[in-house]
Amino acid sequence: MSTPQDTIDNNIEMWKVKKLIKGLEAARGNGTSMISLIIPPGDQISRVAKMLADEYGTASNIKSRVNRLSVLSAITSTQARLKLYTKVPPTGLVVYCGTVVTDEGKEKKVNIDFPPHKPINTSLYMCDNKFHTEALSELLESDSKFGFVIMDGNGTLFGTVSGNTRDVIHKFTVDLPKKHGRGGQSALRFSRLRDEKRHNYVRKVAEMTVQHFITNDKVNVTGLVLAGSADFKTELSQSDLFDPRLVAKVIKIVDVSYGGENGFNQAIELSAEALSNVKFIQEKRLISKYFDAISQDTGKYCFGVDDTLKALDMGAVETLIVWENLDIARVTLRNAAGELDIKHFNKEQEKDRTNFVDPADGSEMEVVEKMPLLEWLAEKYKDFGATLEFVTNRSQEGSQFVKGFGGIGGVLRYKLDFDAIGYDSDEFFSD
Amino acid sequence: MSDQDNDKSTTPPTTDLAGLSLNPSAGSFVPRVNAKAFVPSWMPPPAPAPAPAPPSSSGIDFNAPPPAAVLQKSVDTPPTRAAATPEISAPRPPAVSNKSAAVDRVGSQAASSPAPSPVPTLAPPTPRSSTPVQKTSSSAPKKATTAAAAEAAGGAEEADEDAVDQETLTEFFGKEHMNVIFIGHVDAGKSTMGGRILEASGMIDKRTMEKIQKDAHDAGRDSWYLSWALDTNAEERAKGKTVEVGRAYFETDTRRYTILDAPGHKTYVPSMIGGAAQADVAVLVISARKGEFETGFERGGQTREHAVLAKNGGINKLIVVINKMDDLTVNWSKERFDECVDKLTPFLKSNRYNLKTDVMFMPVSGYTGANIKKGIDPKDCDWYSGPSLLDYLDSITITDRKLNAPFRMPISEKYKDMGTIVVGKIEAGSIKKGAQVLIMPNAVKIEVANIYNELEKEIPVAGVGDNIRLRLRGVEEEDVMLGFVLCSLKHPVHAVSKFEAALGILDLKNIIASGYTAVLHIHTAIEEITLTAMLHLIDKKTGRKSKRPPQFLKKGQQGIVTIETSGGALCVETFADSPQMGRFTLRDEGKTIAIGKITKLLGVGSDDGAE
Repeated sequence: MSTPQDTIDNNIEMWKVKKLIKGLEAARGNGTSMISLIIPPGDQISRVAKMLADEYGTASNIKSRVNRLSVLSAITSTQARLKLYTKVPPTGLVVYCGTVVTDEGKEKKVNIDFPPHKPINTSLYMCDNKFHTEALSELLESDSKFGFVIMDGNGTLFGTVSGNTRDVIHKFTVDLPKKHGRGGQSALRFSRLRDEKRHNYVRKVAEMTVQHFITNDKVNVTGLVLAGSADFKTELSQSDLFDPRLVAKVIKIVDVSYGGENGFNQAIELSAEALSNVKFIQEKRLISKYFDAISQDTGKYCFGVDDTLKALDMGAVETLIVWENLDIARVTLRNAAGELDIKHFNKEQEKDRTNFVDPADGSEMEVVEKMPLLEWLAEKYKDFGATLEFVTNRSQEGSQFVKGFGGIGGVLRYKLDFDAIGYDSDEFFSD
Repeated sequence: MSDQDNDKSTTPPTTDLAGLSLNPSAGSFVPRVNAKAFVPSWMPPPAPAPAPAPPSSSGIDFNAPPPAAVLQKSVDTPPTRAAATPEISAPRPPAVSNKSAAVDRVGSQAASSPAPSPVPTLAPPTPRSSTPVQKTSSSAPKKATTAAAAEAAGGAEEADEDAVDQETLTEFFGKEHMNVIFIGHVDAGKSTMGGRILEASGMIDKRTMEKIQKDAHDAGRDSWYLSWALDTNAEERAKGKTVEVGRAYFETDTRRYTILDAPGHKTYVPSMIGGAAQADVAVLVISARKGEFETGFERGGQTREHAVLAKNGGINKLIVVINKMDDLTVNWSKERFDECVDKLTPFLKSNRYNLKTDVMFMPVSGYTGANIKKGIDPKDCDWYSGPSLLDYLDSITITDRKLNAPFRMPISEKYKDMGTIVVGKIEAGSIKKGAQVLIMPNAVKIEVANIYNELEKEIPVAGVGDNIRLRLRGVEEEDVMLGFVLCSLKHPVHAVSKFEAALGILDLKNIIASGYTAVLHIHTAIEEITLTAMLHLIDKKTGRKSKRPPQFLKKGQQGIVTIETSGGALCVETFADSPQMGRFTLRDEGKTIAIGKITKLLGVGSDDGAE
């Protein structure tokens, strides 16, 4: 398999893990009956199996009957799961077992075991009232984190970009005297006041930069980008007040026209090549490519659930782009005549009972299957010959994609003519 | 004064009882609302104020038809409702529909004092409305009288104020004031030209000039000395690049001028926009030097962007000066001048500049001073016989001055100097020392302690078009932000955080869809915004709106969108009400993405809570 394919699979793997973590974090059980077990690569199954057997012995002494039974049953299922493996997979093994209380108050057994998508360097055995997913979350975080300092005459913003997240750590505003021409006799005084204020501002930013990007005497980012309009950023980088440990990490100094969020976005854009392997940048590029297709009117694009699925069915989709939190369910319905019908509902439509009524005879249709569209796509995308990309709504492009295009779309291999596009002149108001 | 009354008409006293009961509590406000004082001041002086008088009447005229219509309606309505009719004589009725914000603001006052706009006061200036008003007064006599009584006391002081305005203003505006902004690409010679004008008009005394010249010489930058008159910062002087808009003042025999020297560099465009918002006339400086003209005018050069931004900043008169004509590569060659003009013409035309009336081309040399104040030496150039730059500026007439409109002044600068000082250009109305004004969107009532003109001289009163400094009492410097607007108490500007706007996309990488974030420039304010919804696509040829909301907009398209600020409220008006406060520019990633005008105010801002 080629490398790009690997990275794509990896991305999907990551998305799945992310979803799993979300589900596990929300789960709550009775007493301390939820087992989280993480075996690092290189460990031995037999050692863990022995440990579990010992635990079983200890657990039989639990006083509370309910708790004892559920803990024992959780340990038993963990042992059963472990038996499926003859040795620890190369990336380690993660097992979650326990009884979860669902929203409706029913109990549900959860048994999950999987090797993580990349080596996990943690050994963990926990019996608690919740699943412990911290180690998994850490796996998801991209190892490289970049710090940004956006500094201009109105204020400064400290932010980080890591993986596909973009965070604003802190921002504050300042009031610096602008140049106000003359001042007669006091012109000199004004200019001195101005210089002093500016100097203090640089000092403050330098101190804050240390505060935000140095923890335990170590720089906590892989690189630092300084951005801003006018000369502040260069002044900062050359200033004695700027920590030398941070100076070493400055990878780029860019010129942006604004401070604040907009400046942050522009700084990310401008330093794109320095951060090219950060997911966030890749995501921006991907959606930009999609937007390019739209703006050039190539016709090789689609958006919206219906059009995208139509295009998928025709095998026309080259890259399928989906928002990672797309909240659309794929519902398979059966009407009275036994015919199957597939529909896609968002949260509100799902609540609306009229959507489940057969338009032909007015009878309610039976729900055969209901699953999130995302999961269905993650399973089936290969059948359609497409590559699947998950995006967030954290970038400028991502947010537009989600808000303006419903969070699902695709770049096509060839032009498709969707019927829905055929609206033009008669669609205008006549005034 | 009357404008506010008008707002009230949209909140008719359906709750009539409430209005009555509330009236006492609102007593404090009533006097101010009232226009009673105003009338006497206008009525007696037919002679003293020739200039102000016509505008005042025009103000009423141009609103005349709508009030009439409303009046009829009100006559039909039962007597209880009639209490609202006096308000109708307000000017600018079109505002009403859009002024949801103000309506809410004013709501409480309106409900509580619907009647105070009294019969006698309104009758004289607008004779047309007098009859219906009398009717109303008869139908709701009790109200009218009580309200009139309440306002009588407080109204007096207001009257006084207005009377002074009229007199002093006429006397004061002997010399008209004009704001000129220099725009153009980096190194086109904007600052140098500004410096040359200051020198030519004698605004910089010889000693200062010599000092600057010496400084420049010491720095090894002899040719920069003129621009140093405007570039005062160390960093600006070191690089020879203007960073912030520089200001200077000069006078000719006929006019007073404020020069705004915009930075030409790409990164400092935001500052240039703020300057353009304050200007009446723009001087587009083009370098004729070989290669420089081309770079400045190419894609990404600031010549284009500045011209577009200036137009959208409300500047209609553009003087295109082809600078550096004395350069060796040009040498006052007519061919080069014509070449520049020919290349610029189609571009300016496409940006809605009217070439016949609004644009003037002239060859100059800022460095030598040729054709700045005096004409060109015919030895150098025998083909240009038009006016020099200053002569031409003197000959321009400015038309849209709204002296009698409610006071408006966006703040473009502020600093602390024995109090809070704010700087800005008065967009409408006039202000006099000691007046009470409102600072929006905070809705803080403040007093104008002093007014200073460009020469730091204290003046008693200033009017529309003036670029002034105000010392304020009642607000801390920290509580004032650039882009805030000082406005009259009676007709505060609207502060909203959400509005609908027509957008024209100028330059875009690919497309914009809802969820797009950008930076919005309006008058002197800069704000981060999000396009929350796309509403309609506008057909460029027919101007019709699409029924279906477009999925996205791309370069060259126009559409109606909803815009929300990510911060607090923004002082804006609809374009129809006030073009200057209703047109904006969207920028992102150092480029001007779109220009637009506000069509509808939606979300009410923080001012609501302040009431």
